[in-house]
This record gives sequence, structure tokens and C-alpha cells, in this order.
Amino acid sequence: MQFQDNIPIYVQIEKYLYRQIALGKIKPGEKVPSVRQLAVDLTVNVNTVQRALNQMNTEGILEVRRGLGSFVTTDTELILQKRRELIKDTMSEFLESTAQLGLTPEKTLEELKKFIEEEKGD
Amino acid sequence: MNKLLEVKGLTYKKNLRTILKDVNLDVESGKIIALLGENGAGKTTLMRIIVAIAKHYQGKVLLNGDGSEVYRKANIAMTDNLKGLSDSTKVGEIEEFYQKLFVDFDSSKFEQLRSFMKLSNDMKLGQLSRGMREKLEIALTLSREAKLYLLDEPFSGIDPMSRKRIINSILLWKSADSTIIISDHFVNEITTILDEVVTVKDKKIASHLSADDIRAKGHSIEEYYESLYADEGAE
Repeated sequence: MQFQDNIPIYVQIEKYLYRQIALGKIKPGEKVPSVRQLAVDLTVNVNTVQRALNQMNTEGILEVRRGLGSFVTTDTELILQKRRELIKDTMSEFLESTAQLGLTPEKTLEELKKFIEEEKGD
Repeated sequence: MNKLLEVKGLTYKKNLRTILKDVNLDVESGKIIALLGENGAGKTTLMRIIVAIAKHYQGKVLLNGDGSEVYRKANIAMTDNLKGLSDSTKVGEIEEFYQKLFVDFDSSKFEQLRSFMKLSNDMKLGQLSRGMREKLEIALTLSREAKLYLLDEPFSGIDPMSRKRIINSILLWKSADSTIIISDHFVNEITTILDEVVTVKDKKIASHLSADDIRAKGHSIEEYYESLYADEGAE
């Protein structure tokens, strides 16, 4: 995974794990890889991974069990809610970047529809 | 996190030239820290003083509150460029040499690191490429059970694959409570693994910040580092 260097790494690790969970790559109740394994897989510091996991533990998405590792919550409603948040975040980031091109949200939607139609045609 | 290293009011002169002036630095245990600065900024000198190879400095250097040079030498591992050894020396012989020299040298750890780095005991020093030599230096250093590791520019002039392997070896073999300080004059190769960034400029510590605090302000570590030298470019 490629990190953006102007956003805190722990925030990006959280997002990465949320995506894995939202996409069902790590299932409810399943154990997430160990801190060291994640650190090596993502080429990041162990402390940074721990910080991300602690944050997700506080939010209830993960349950950190001492000595056993971290497990995804079995509360599927919470996972769905997180997924909706991720979708919202992605949308607002997208609208921010189209706004920088001078597009209103309405115009963006219009352009997006056109774009999807064209892609289908290809 | 415990305070591991304290450098207080450190001044160092060599041949009437001031190399470090009133340097203060506090380092906690369990961190990975970059020591950044231009070539000749005094990064290597600072490391050599911390590990008690360079002497006759003013000020204090304490490891776990202990200022004795013997204690620092025994508990701090710094990379050695192996320049004192002849080209015909074999990797296995260097390992034996390290075993005799350092009581905390762990041979089984070295075996793991050596095979991870794809080095064999019968390779001769003179045959090693730049990247392989660097890997050997790192393997030897990380094989000591030290409290503090000082890696002096381990990534200069080596290929991306060797770099990746060295970074992974750090992530895999670093114990939880030890700290690693990595010096470099170029930062973006290692930014993702850093806890903190220390910069050396004008003979002093110019800044000491958490890497994610720099990013939280919307700057990349590289941008931040370059901004320290921005004024000079205009002159």
C-alpha cells in the first residue's frame, strides 16, 4: 500500500483496515493480523500500527484482547455504519476536488453521469 | 515510554573547528527516529559521541541516566563501515570477531538476519556490492542486544530492493523497548517507519518532532525538511 506523506500514517492505517473490514476481507469476529505483521506488510512502524488499532478499539470496531491480538467486532450494524461513513468521506473528498475545478455539486453529478455512460460505451 | 538517552549542552570541537555547539536531545525507548541534516552537518560526529567513540567533548551524554563511557559502549550498537578489515575477510570471520568483541552479540539472531539478507558465511568482504555490504553492517549491528542502535546513513547509494530488505529487517528484529536512530541526508526513503524526526543544522539540533505531527499539519516529512533550508536557497 502506498501512503500519502502529508496525512498522519496512523489515520491511513485505520482507513486501510476499515476498507478491509467493509469489503469483508476481514470478517466480523475475525482476528486481524498481528501488529508486527501489519507493520511489515505496510512498511510502517509498530507504534504507528498500535496507535491505529487502539483508536479503532476505542471506536468499538476492533476489540484488542491483551496477549491474543485484535478482533473485528461482531456488531454488524456498527460495521455498516462505518461503511456509510467511508462512503460519505469518499464523496465529500470527490466533491472537494471537483469544486476546485469550478464544478458545483449538481454540475458534478451531471458530468459523472455523462462519464459513466461514455465508459459503458467503450 | 522511558527516557533512554539524554544529551545535555554538548559541544564538540576538532582542529579548532566547532562541529557541534550546545546540542540538547532527549530520546525515549521504543522509537524509530530519523536524524536528518546535510552532509557535514555533524550527524556522524553526534553518533560517535553518543556511542563514546569520539571523546573530549563538553557536556553530558547519559544512557538510562548513566554517563559512563563503558556503559554506553556496552549498550549502544552503532554501524561500523568495516574499513579496518581487509577485503579477504569472510563474513563468518567477521561474525566471530563480533562475538569476541561484544558480549551482547547474539549468534542465532545473526544467523537469522544473515540468511534474511541473503549473505553467506564464506563471502569475502571485497566481493560484496555496496548494498550487500550495507546489509552486512546492519545484520551485525542488529544482532547485538543493545538498548540503542545508531545506523549511520544505511541507505546511501543502495538499490531499492536492498533498502526494502533493510527496512523490513529493522521492523522484524527490533525489540519493543529498544530505540533505533537512523541518520540520512535524504528523507523520503524511510518516512513511513518513523516515530520522530530530529534535524541537525548550524551545529545544533534544529527541531525534534513526531512524524505524524508534521503530517497532521498537512506537510510531508520531505517538504518539512526542505523548508528548513528554504531561506538559504534564496541567498
